[in-house]
Amino acid sequence: MTASMSQSLAQMVQTDYEIGDYQSSIAPRWCTGCGDTAILTAMQRLCRDEQLPPEKTVCVSGIGCASRLPHYMNAYGFHGIHGRALPIAEGIKIRRPDMSVFVTTGDGDCCSIGAAHWLHAVRYNMNMTMLLHDNNVYGLTKKQASPTSPKGLSTNTTPTGASLNPLNPLTVTLGIANVSFVAQVVDWIPELLYEVLQKAYHHKGFSFIRILQRCPNFMDHHFDAWMQDPARTRILTHGDGLRLRPEMSRVYKNQETHDPRDMARALALAAMPDEVPVGILYSNPDVPCYDELRAGERPSTPALVETVLNEEFDKVGIWPAEEEA
Amino acid sequence: MQHGRITPNPTAREPVSVPLRPALYARFGDLAELRHDYPLVLVDRAEGAPLLRPLSRIIDDTLKLVAPADLTGESLRQQVLRLEADIRRKVMAGEEGRLSDLWREAAAGIVAGEGQAPFGEVDNNLETARKKLPLDGIVIGCDAATPDKVLCHAWNAKQADKARRFRKIVDGLILRLSDILKSDHMKSDEAHDADALAAAMGTTADGTIDFSVLSDVLHRARPEDRLPEDRVARIEHALRVLKEQPFFAPGRASDRGPERRDPYSYSFDNCSDALEAYRDRLPDVLEFTKAMTVAELEMENKYRPELHDPIFERFETSDLSPEQIGLLPSALVCLRDGETMSAEIARSYEALACGLPITVLIQVDDLLGPTSPEPPQNSFGAGTARLAAMAMGLNNAFVLQTTSAHLHRMNDALERGMRYEGPALFCLYSGATPSMPDVAPYILSAAATEARAFPSFVYDPAAGEDWASRFDLAGNPQIAQDWPEHRLLFEDSDGQRMEKAIAFTFADFVICDRRYARFCHAVERSEWSEEMIPVSEWLRSTSKQDERHVPYVSVIDPGDRMFRVGVDGKITEAARRCIDGWKRLLEMGGINNSHVIRALAEDRLRREDEARNVAPTETTEPPAPSAASEPAQAVPVVAEAPAAEPVSDGAPWIETPRCTTCNECVQTNDALFAYNDDMQAYIADPDAGTYRQIVEAAEGCQVSIIHPGQPRNPDEPNLEELIERAAAFN
Repeated sequence: MTASMSQSLAQMVQTDYEIGDYQSSIAPRWCTGCGDTAILTAMQRLCRDEQLPPEKTVCVSGIGCASRLPHYMNAYGFHGIHGRALPIAEGIKIRRPDMSVFVTTGDGDCCSIGAAHWLHAVRYNMNMTMLLHDNNVYGLTKKQASPTSPKGLSTNTTPTGASLNPLNPLTVTLGIANVSFVAQVVDWIPELLYEVLQKAYHHKGFSFIRILQRCPNFMDHHFDAWMQDPARTRILTHGDGLRLRPEMSRVYKNQETHDPRDMARALALAAMPDEVPVGILYSNPDVPCYDELRAGERPSTPALVETVLNEEFDKVGIWPAEEEA
Repeated sequence: MQHGRITPNPTAREPVSVPLRPALYARFGDLAELRHDYPLVLVDRAEGAPLLRPLSRIIDDTLKLVAPADLTGESLRQQVLRLEADIRRKVMAGEEGRLSDLWREAAAGIVAGEGQAPFGEVDNNLETARKKLPLDGIVIGCDAATPDKVLCHAWNAKQADKARRFRKIVDGLILRLSDILKSDHMKSDEAHDADALAAAMGTTADGTIDFSVLSDVLHRARPEDRLPEDRVARIEHALRVLKEQPFFAPGRASDRGPERRDPYSYSFDNCSDALEAYRDRLPDVLEFTKAMTVAELEMENKYRPELHDPIFERFETSDLSPEQIGLLPSALVCLRDGETMSAEIARSYEALACGLPITVLIQVDDLLGPTSPEPPQNSFGAGTARLAAMAMGLNNAFVLQTTSAHLHRMNDALERGMRYEGPALFCLYSGATPSMPDVAPYILSAAATEARAFPSFVYDPAAGEDWASRFDLAGNPQIAQDWPEHRLLFEDSDGQRMEKAIAFTFADFVICDRRYARFCHAVERSEWSEEMIPVSEWLRSTSKQDERHVPYVSVIDPGDRMFRVGVDGKITEAARRCIDGWKRLLEMGGINNSHVIRALAEDRLRREDEARNVAPTETTEPPAPSAASEPAQAVPVVAEAPAAEPVSDGAPWIETPRCTTCNECVQTNDALFAYNDDMQAYIADPDAGTYRQIVEAAEGCQVSIIHPGQPRNPDEPNLEELIERAAAFN
């Protein structure tokens, strides 16, 4: 809003959205024990705590288990086509900068068929939050190897075991020009999942969160080693990043104070082979945002579009002889 | 350097009849040949561009870009400097135009003068340099029209910025409101009838689609939640008012619909018209402001008729906030002291005092003659220079006083004044005084500041809360002295090179005015005596009636011959008033502030008194024990409390903050397990289910956060086995 009077009058209308206001009439149809439910809950908590009007919130997804999320949010949603969530989200954001835009995608949707859009979305750095639900497998289609599947994983498409080393979404994202926010979290620590999501939401620019997510049906016990041994989870803390409660600190003793502006350390942390870094690896709010750079001097109202088009046509217009006079 | 020559004054002992100039003007004989701050370029508005820039600076900037600093660039430098001199001469002769156009004309003249063909070396050099011009704009000279042109340029630039901001906001609102209506329309019968669907397909429809069938299908599928009629009416009204606003033109020449009114003009040549227009336009301002506020609320879906309707019904002029007024154009009123009626000037002060969005220019051409609001009787030269100082008393108005010669140095202040969201007064001396035709306006306006007759200053209420932040005198020369001093080089009657420091006083400034020639008398060299002292020294003497000394001013005649002119009491009295006014300004600027000086003197006296009264006595008392020597107080050491662990009383419990909302437990028994406000599980009622259910939920929990505790019902079957299974989770 531009005027303080409007703000004052708007404040007369108190909103009190509760978590139920963000739950759609469709009950989540994810498998019992699926990590996606924790992500959905974290998003709904964020919307409630930020009091985001449902009509000002939009979730965009591609195809996959993770991409079902917009159905379960009572907000605007766009269940797009495979790998193409980001271009749609960018279109929404540039036309409606007042909307809070969330993109939910999976490791197959993002890192395989949608990889090109992922790279350029990071480079465009438009103001939105992307959640990569990474369960290391194609779950919706009943277990095929995804780009992040560990080497040797036996799946329908790799019956003798995946032959390639997995792609690391963190190091890839950190290596893209204009990257401005990269975080990693795991679905089984809801408190940190929520806090990272909140930081990402408040970050100005494109916030990329990779969420290690359990798939109880096709990757059962895959993350057990990290779930059961807190020492293998390295919590990244900082004044500008996560701050652990004492109770959490007692459980997760493996902590490192990491400056989110330190790209070199972020890359080293992202590439750690055995430990899972949890927290904000990189955050730089000074990176220019494409949506702000491209914001025209005037909004493209239909009248303005028509005027400009007519001006352009007039430059090359050939008028009938009788109209010349 | 020869500035002047001392020769016997042929007109000595007679009334001064030849045009006189202060000796310090000698080096500025022909301005057309001197690189100075004029011509001035009124720079086209662009991001980061200044409002004004002297041509000479632009040429310097260009040369840095195109001409190598070594000898290889010398030829190009000479050609461009020659072109600059040509433009300067043309502008001083009254020509005016855009810099790029004047450049092309001057370049063609030089090429033709050189006898070269177009596209020859000189032509190419000058064209290369022209393409590197960092700025473009209208080139103006220094004359009577300069203050008006500069201020109008600055004001237009400000209005253009305002218009851009306004259009961005208003167009954004129009777009958003149109979207709301459009999305509502898409749910209507009209949008889905067969004709509308066919029209949407356009001329490419080939009959293969039965639009009536399609219309039926869409009719069944479309949502029913239409907007309430009163909301649609409210949005349509706001949209119409926003679209038809009369404050700013559409911004593009062709963007003019039949519904558009001609935008209001905000430039006036008297205050009465400006005030009348302000009053006449208030209803439009009110309606627009209300529409804009409604639009902003509707955009956020925050308009509630029961809450907001009464507020908008009561909304009136006094409710307009500075922010809302600041969005709309401000008025420009150009007044000219001496020509404008005194009442108009007085009225402009009333408008400024009211805080109306108004920018007032009072152009002054004559500092010494009749002036508004009251023609001076016995104090010439005192009224005009006070206009700006008076406006500072209004407290809420931005005030800038300066002269044409200092305009580009005050560029920053000019921009701040234009940005200021409130009334602003610009008091500018043009230097084009009719009774001083022999001195160029540029010289005269510069001299007015040098002579403290028209000091440059800024009063910016937005700069801070105290005078030190708001008031700035920095634009004046040698601010710490009464009169600025300059070195004068001249040749004496024996042909020897001489040098002396001369103060430039109010008397030096006045001496050029033909109306005051009668208060001067030439003094022949043979009559020079010890009793003759420069005016600056004479004014420093404490006695106002110093009969013994004769104050004089060093002057030159049209032949640059230097001699002395004695000045009468009329002029020295005016000079005293002038310096008195300057000292008051200095005090306001924090220099030689009498309050501070007095307080410092009192403080010094008090300290001296205290020092005298304290007799030096030897102390025999032992020094007070230092804090360190005192026995340290026993600080109770608080043992760190053991970490609070959940105390098991045998009741089942869940580590709720770690719950991942996987639904497993609540699907087992939703009376026993439930979700809290954060959608994380807790034990709602431990007695609402069996111990078996709790143990199985613990086993099924993906993150192992359910702790079954001890069975509550000792009669439950197979308890031993269940307790054994639960042990892993307790």
